[in-house]
Amino acid sequence: MQQFANPARFLAFSNAILPWCWAITIGLLAAGLVLSLYTAPADYQQGETVRIMFVHVPAAWMALFVYTVMALASGVAFVFRHPLADAAAKAAAPIGACFCFLALATGSIWGKPMWGTWWVWDARLTSMFVLFLLYLGYMAVWQALEEPHRAAPIARIVAIAGFINIPIIKFSVDWWNSLHQPASVFRMGGPTIHSSLLWPLLIMGLAYTFLFLSLHLQAIRAEIAERKLRQARLADIGGH
Amino acid sequence: MDWSAPHSGFVLASYALSFVVLGGLIAFTVRRDRKLKRDVAKLEHKRHDP
Repeated sequence: MQQFANPARFLAFSNAILPWCWAITIGLLAAGLVLSLYTAPADYQQGETVRIMFVHVPAAWMALFVYTVMALASGVAFVFRHPLADAAAKAAAPIGACFCFLALATGSIWGKPMWGTWWVWDARLTSMFVLFLLYLGYMAVWQALEEPHRAAPIARIVAIAGFINIPIIKFSVDWWNSLHQPASVFRMGGPTIHSSLLWPLLIMGLAYTFLFLSLHLQAIRAEIAERKLRQARLADIGGH
Repeated sequence: MDWSAPHSGFVLASYALSFVVLGGLIAFTVRRDRKLKRDVAKLEHKRHDP
């Protein structure tokens, strides 16, 4: 792992694996869509609306996972001061924000026919909305401060401090009375969903994971290139 | 999928929104990476051959 922390080695490594990551992502997304829209049966209570779950739940999983990656990378940057760790955290933020937005929006679209409302300020929905604000806040720090060496320490603190929200989201349905249903896949005692609905959900979850991996590698490469260009511009200014 | 079932419009809206947001994110990320890669190549070319 340590050897890929070198930007040159990382670029060579990502160059080699990116085409495979994209190919696996496309394959899994295609399989997931077929399973979600055609193979999976309608639910006896929710009817066809259950199919929203196959895009909503993986987006919510990824919103939590990407923030965890961001907090871990920020922790590594905080301890080892490695610039690639900061680049990894910064590159993950817009991807996580998009997943978080999708989780909120598709959940809202599901809520209207099932709960009779687009939105309620209950624990799960509110903590998820806070996560979206944390993503926006983290990105705003990088945008607001022009010099990366000034933005990085503040961004790291935002990412690490904001991680407290991740267990709150996960356990919000157990700690408080929530309109949102409790965990039905990752729970003690195993999943409570029938396999005909579980498999499409897991395939879509895997597809979203590979989509994140592909996007993240691509975004870190762009981040490295941007830093290189910035250093070159500063060197030019210093030279004149 | 029975497209004539009640609430199928909500299902369609969810998938369409996911497609637009994720498609936009992919296009933005890949284009940004390619553009910056080209800029770095230009810069290195300029340095080696001023």
